[in-house]
Amino acid sequence: MSDIASNSPARPSRLFSSFSVRDAGTLIGLVLILAVFAVLVPGFLSERNLINILQQSSINACLALGMTLVIISGGIDLSVGPTAAIAAVISATLLVSGYPVPLAIVSGLGIGVLCGLVNGVLVAHVGLQPFIVTLGTLSTYRAIALIYTGGNPVLGIPPEFRALFNGSLAGIPSSVVIVAAVAAVAWILLKKTPIGEYLLAVGGNEEAAYVSGVPIALTKVTAYVISGTLAALASLILIGRLGAAEPILGNLWELDAIAAAAIGGASLMGGKGSVIGTILGAIILGAMRNGLTLMNVQAFYQLLATGLIILFAMMIDRVTRGRE
Amino acid sequence: MATTARLKFAGITKTFPGVKALTDVSFEVMPGEIHALLGENGAGKSTLLKILSGVQRATSGEFYVDGAVAHFRRPEHARAAGVAMIYQELQQVPNLTVAQNMFLGHPLKRAGFLVDRREQERRAAEALAMIDPSIDPARPIRELKVAQRQVVEIARALLDKAKIIAMDEPTSSLTPAEFESLATVIEKLAASGVAIIYVSHKMDEVFRICHCGTVMRDGQVVGVVDLKATRQEDVIAMMVGRELLQEEHHSHVRDDVRLEVRNLSSVKTHVRDVSFDVRRGEVLGIAGLVGSGRTELLRLLAGVDLIAGGTVKFDGKVLKLNNPRSAIAAGIGLLPEERKREGIIPIRPVSINMALPSLGRFAISGIVRHSAIKKRAEEILKQVNLRPFQIDRPIKLFSGGNQQKAIIARWLAAGSQVLLFDEPTRGIDVGAKAEIYHLIEELAAEGRSIVVVSSELPEVMRVSDRVMVMRNGRIAAILGRADLSEQNLVTHAVGEAAGKSQTKQEHRYV
Repeated sequence: MSDIASNSPARPSRLFSSFSVRDAGTLIGLVLILAVFAVLVPGFLSERNLINILQQSSINACLALGMTLVIISGGIDLSVGPTAAIAAVISATLLVSGYPVPLAIVSGLGIGVLCGLVNGVLVAHVGLQPFIVTLGTLSTYRAIALIYTGGNPVLGIPPEFRALFNGSLAGIPSSVVIVAAVAAVAWILLKKTPIGEYLLAVGGNEEAAYVSGVPIALTKVTAYVISGTLAALASLILIGRLGAAEPILGNLWELDAIAAAAIGGASLMGGKGSVIGTILGAIILGAMRNGLTLMNVQAFYQLLATGLIILFAMMIDRVTRGRE
Repeated sequence: MATTARLKFAGITKTFPGVKALTDVSFEVMPGEIHALLGENGAGKSTLLKILSGVQRATSGEFYVDGAVAHFRRPEHARAAGVAMIYQELQQVPNLTVAQNMFLGHPLKRAGFLVDRREQERRAAEALAMIDPSIDPARPIRELKVAQRQVVEIARALLDKAKIIAMDEPTSSLTPAEFESLATVIEKLAASGVAIIYVSHKMDEVFRICHCGTVMRDGQVVGVVDLKATRQEDVIAMMVGRELLQEEHHSHVRDDVRLEVRNLSSVKTHVRDVSFDVRRGEVLGIAGLVGSGRTELLRLLAGVDLIAGGTVKFDGKVLKLNNPRSAIAAGIGLLPEERKREGIIPIRPVSINMALPSLGRFAISGIVRHSAIKKRAEEILKQVNLRPFQIDRPIKLFSGGNQQKAIIARWLAAGSQVLLFDEPTRGIDVGAKAEIYHLIEELAAEGRSIVVVSSELPEVMRVSDRVMVMRNGRIAAILGRADLSEQNLVTHAVGEAAGKSQTKQEHRYV
């Protein structure tokens, strides 16, 4: 229903028309959560705390954007956490060994590309199921990170690298700026390029897409490569913040990323998903954790709240989509 | 009347928000009657069947089973009251056995919780014995032919002691021979007192097995007809609300050969050594039995299946058909047989479904211009007469005929010069059918070369300039319009001496 309604009104403005009813629903959810915490937690809505929330959400948002594209293509990427870990330890090792910062960044992102490429090729060319492929690489990549470091963290990341990823630009944390830029690119990719249409088509009906001449394999591989690259980017943000890279970094990241995408309206059946929704979904999760932490709520209950919000979002989704 | 009606609808009205789907529908079906429910898509047949089977509830009005008023809130209620539905798309689990499928959802139990497979198979065999004893209840459903699966579904209804069986397009994927055996089963059922409601777009079949029919249009009953005393044209006129002219075939064939196929063979199917030409503006029909290789041939030409040998030339140039992309780039477009599975991207708008293969044409330096797509979609979808004319609406919300028009539009947008139509009117209603025929003619007149595969002989004969008959993956004959008759087509399709091995093949092409 949301899909039709979003398209039928007499196109008020281009930007507005790309903001679907489903996205509006996610936005309302976010506003509600902000309102509740504003009442419960003094200072929750302060500029500082809001920026804090964005910063805390940025890593998950970064992963979730890649995840969204994969989910739209009808797949899933469970290996984002370990991908991030390999990228982190390799970049960190290069940095600590004195290699220039740009080289370390390019290497880290390159690792992400490579990890995504392996996933993509196994899914698209070998024809294995995405869940199983990325479950396998989840372990494999984690093992590689652990073996490479001997299980030890890589310490002593130089300040010039940290300044880049943990600094700020006109008062906005650079991680937020980076992820905003990534989101803009992802939005353009999905809405304005052939590959975006191909992703939606492949996830919507792969066989019909194939007969229509859509390059299926290329489309899928692209999604996994982007997901891997964004996982690597997320890890660079994290090691910039922490000043160290641990091989166990990124544990369970995939679940938060999937949650953000799903809250934002991505369908795990494929063919459906929204960049704006995913960003809002990541902020919802971030705001929840921030608010509950400020209220001194035990971590156990934070986990509970996260679980409930996911289930609640899906139920709302089901009800509002109604008769289909 | 001496007997009570087995089923009686009295003033059924159903409204959905903003739409009145059914208005005051009343008619009755007597025991032992095979009653056709006729009407175009959207006439309200499906809604009525949904109410009958307890999937939806009427807004007002009642219906009666054997004189007792029926209040079905859920499908189980309908089943318990003896109403069985047989759908076009079978609701079966392929990996389970025939018996397991027949007892799906309410298995026979032993000792309170164990499934009694042996007893299930015994009873399944009993029910099957009445209609088709050749089906083994222990076989997995997936090993059965579609026609046999239909029979299983009917046997399942018998098992439930159904008094009323409603069939929605049960024969859409059956061959004429399979239809005949199904018809025998249906007649046997009726003779035992079951009331049958039969929904089909295939008029010949309806007239062959149904006694009378209720004709619906726009949610209302426009008449109840005695099919033994009514002409087919009159029923169709009632359905569409106007006379459908039995139009003449118009030929637009020019002299130059555009598509030259020589000795084409397939890697994975039995299509072998097929050679033919299609001229500019020509419509080449392909007839043949199901499994004769017609669909497989089109899939080769469209780059979907791999070619083992032979050449395809277009305008004198040899084509490399490695995948659909290369075929599309060469100007070949396929309208697939299974629209839902291979044709549409259901939740995407019609305009995007149209533009999918030609997105590159609408992009400038990698950015798709949606305004350009919209403009082109408005032009082309108007040409094919999309209804309702809402190009941003998800394609799944359109009727089959209009989805088909959108897929045709897809190839017009891609500039395809060779159009391969596989069963272009399967499952679409009479009015849309006529439109598709017109469209085929129009596209031929514009100089495109068109290949139409169809199982409906009148259709092939209506649209084609020449008809190629296939048998066992090879060409059995190519007939000009002068030689076209149903008799002739069937003879070639079956083979003069059926069963005899064919040592010599006729290789005739112009």
